Amino acid sequence: MDVMAAIKGRRSVRKFTGQPVGKEALLKLLDAAVWAPSGGNAQTWRFVVVTDPERMRRLRMVSPGLLGRPPAAIVIAQDLALAERKGGKMGKESLAKMDSAMAAQNILLAAYEMGLGTCVVASFHPGAVGRILKLPDHILPQLIVSVGHPAANPPPPPRKFEELIWWETYGGQDCS
Amino acid sequence: MVDRIVLEKEIFELVSYIIVSARNLLEEPARYGPFRLVESASWLIRILEGAGVASDRLSSIRAMIEEGKHTVMSTEEEFKDFLESLVLTQVNNIDSGPS
Repeated sequence: MDVMAAIKGRRSVRKFTGQPVGKEALLKLLDAAVWAPSGGNAQTWRFVVVTDPERMRRLRMVSPGLLGRPPAAIVIAQDLALAERKGGKMGKESLAKMDSAMAAQNILLAAYEMGLGTCVVASFHPGAVGRILKLPDHILPQLIVSVGHPAANPPPPPRKFEELIWWETYGGQDCS
Repeated sequence: MVDRIVLEKEIFELVSYIIVSARNLLEEPARYGPFRLVESASWLIRILEGAGVASDRLSSIRAMIEEGKHTVMSTEEEFKDFLESLVLTQVNNIDSGPS
């Protein structure tokens, strides 16, 4: 699939069929995730895949943003102790979050190409998620990506290019 | 006969959703608050339907919520219109409950 087609066609899916997602497909998404860039090549992400229905139910209970009853979720966490050792304060407080987001985007695009629906979720309680997934104290969950077969694809929200993009300096018009 | 254990688990899940939402909403976007409320209302109606407590007016308001709740991701005006329509429908249904 053309990269731009994936970027523009992907939607945030919040309604899934009950069909499970196979391990092979999830491994492909994780492969995409770990090929994401990371600040200073730190690679401090840690991914926890959840497919067990009971654990998904518990994850839902503490993740109000996890909508549409997805059959699987990839929790993107960060080893903050390692992020600090590798990147100092910036690594721990800033780069780690950006790295999680870039890994998430890779997952979303790979999933779209595979016909899967996804949604990035930040509305969850990190401490509660940590308990449910038995995360050590230095591993902090930063994002959850729901994964499933889409039951509905929302329409694309408009993009206001004229309010977003400038040339050379802020407010600068198209130089063509 | 409703399975009380299943019902209790479903209620527990909804209560967890509400409690975690309450905590997280201290830092989340303001419009997530009304979204969580209508989502909880829909969820409660679904649990009640499974337990044999159903009515046309509850089913219709739940259908409206499910149809329009994702306008929270649209414009503020669209989401507000959706919430307004829910309120007006609810008012119109006050006297139409099961007898």
